[in-house]
Amino acid sequence: MRLTCPFCGSRGVEEFTYRGDATVRRPAAEAGDAAWVDYVYLRDNPAGLHQELWYHGVGCRSWLVVTRDTRTHLVSDVRAARAVAQAEHQAEHKEGAA
Amino acid sequence: MLQAFVSEGIKPFIDGVVTFGAGHFYISQSDKGGLVFGGDIDGYNSYAQRGNLPVIEDVCEGGMALMPRIGRVRLLRHWGGIMDMSMDGSPIIDHTPVQGLYLNAGWCYGGFKATPASGLCFAHLLARDEPHPVATAYRLDRFARGAVIDEKGMGAQPNLH
Ligand SMILES: Cc1cc2nc3c(=O)[nH]c(=O)nc-3n(C[C@H](O)[C@H](O)[C@H](O)COP(=O)(O)OP(=O)(O)OC[C@H]3O[C@@H](n4cnc5c(N)ncnc54)[C@H](O)[C@@H]3O)c2cc1C
Ligand SMILES: [Zn+2]
Repeated sequence: MRLTCPFCGSRGVEEFTYRGDATVRRPAAEAGDAAWVDYVYLRDNPAGLHQELWYHGVGCRSWLVVTRDTRTHLVSDVRAARAVAQAEHQAEHKEGAA
Repeated sequence: MLQAFVSEGIKPFIDGVVTFGAGHFYISQSDKGGLVFGGDIDGYNSYAQRGNLPVIEDVCEGGMALMPRIGRVRLLRHWGGIMDMSMDGSPIIDHTPVQGLYLNAGWCYGGFKATPASGLCFAHLLARDEPHPVATAYRLDRFARGAVIDEKGMGAQPNLH
């Protein structure tokens, strides 16, 4: 399996560290036990497309959001986690303004 | 995903199971002479039933560190299977919120050798509707209750268990 880092190009998977589901978001501190248990311990683990965090430790040390099919290991998208977070933040901001 | 490996048959060489904790490698020999060995999991969510080459290299390095003399033995076959890694590396043997539905899962890579004990505890739970004394900690709600069984102190990170 190889991942195409947006900064370093195509690299062997041994250069990266896996951190799991990239779609979970930290709840507010006062969100309550159920939301926190969900955030820390519960994952969907789909058979199919999975958005996940990988860290390019042996390369540029960027966190990446990879979209991969868990049935085939086929990677369809790799983005910098920073760019994904910024886009999300902007979308929230626009919603707030509208 | 965990991969397992079998070498070509050789004369009797290993009489038992040898586990190498520092490098994570384990090996035994089948009656037909093949060396059967394995090591780390691939460590990312997968249903592909096959692993990747870096882990094969890592397992072989572990083997060479432990037993350099197996270096010239050729690999015959290998396969990969799904590991049901739990969030704390321990299994779950418990009721579920649905009445009459019971759970015995999350055995990670230890589910073969645990079968006699796991079967006994599960049968006890099914027959009496209460956990076997040995298995009282393996509850489904232990995560929500903050009672995780976390031998290695790795946190909720299944690929580190
Ligand atoms: C390569 C490899 C090497 C291993 N080596 C060892 C070892 O040396 N020692 C050791 O102790 N353990 C080892 N294990 C781990 C061990 O195999 C597992 O922990 C154990 O098999 C788990 O048993 P189980 O009954 O909980 O689940 P499984 O054996 O996975 O059984 C689950 C069953 O449910 C069925 N199923 C799934 N979905 C459905 C559905 N929707 N409807 C109906 N049925 C369904 C599946 O087909 C399967 O038969 C190894 C695993 C692998 C992959
Ligand atoms: Zn990179």
